[in-house]
Amino acid sequence: MSAWLAITTDICLFFLFVATVLCLYRMVIGPRAADRAIALDALSAVIIGMICLLCMRWGSTLYFDAVWILTLVGFLGSSAIAKYLARGRVF
Amino acid sequence: MVVEVLAALTMTVGTFFIVVTGVGLVRFPDVYTRMHAAGKAGTVGIALLILAPTIYFATSDPFVSIRGCLAIVFQFLTTPGATYLLAHACYATSYAAHSRTEIDELKDWLPTYPDEEFGRE
Repeated sequence: MSAWLAITTDICLFFLFVATVLCLYRMVIGPRAADRAIALDALSAVIIGMICLLCMRWGSTLYFDAVWILTLVGFLGSSAIAKYLARGRVF
Repeated sequence: MVVEVLAALTMTVGTFFIVVTGVGLVRFPDVYTRMHAAGKAGTVGIALLILAPTIYFATSDPFVSIRGCLAIVFQFLTTPGATYLLAHACYATSYAAHSRTEIDELKDWLPTYPDEEFGRE
């Protein structure tokens, strides 16, 4: 990995950290549970992006399995929250 | 070299969309507009961010690229579905839209009921 790409990755990681703080802020102040569920959804997207950038930064492909497992499992959490909000139970 | 430029470009644009998602989550007034921010800009941003290591590892480790393409496909399949389910749940439990919302076309189609359990602020 060349030096300028490493610096670009670090800057992108910093801005992803800013997005994480914004999502956590909405998760704290969100007036109702649906707002918090949306913030959780966006937060899982930010974390997947962070894992991708750290894979590139460290030159390791070990953690890349976590990316597509999280794309599958993060969806289940928010849909379960949606069912629970709509009907008062999940199944 | 071309691979690195492409990876840097996709990850910069993806980070821009993710930050736009965060700003939209904080700034937008009600839950439906926040869903608009998180469901559209978030999906595009995360797809571009997964595309960056997919391009970067394409020559050194092709199987990682295959997994990256799978992750992008799953992301485009699952995130809009989850956002739709949440929006449906919010509307069905009569989560009030912002006062400047002018058109509510769903009113004739979808019955709403007051939310006893989660209706409190």
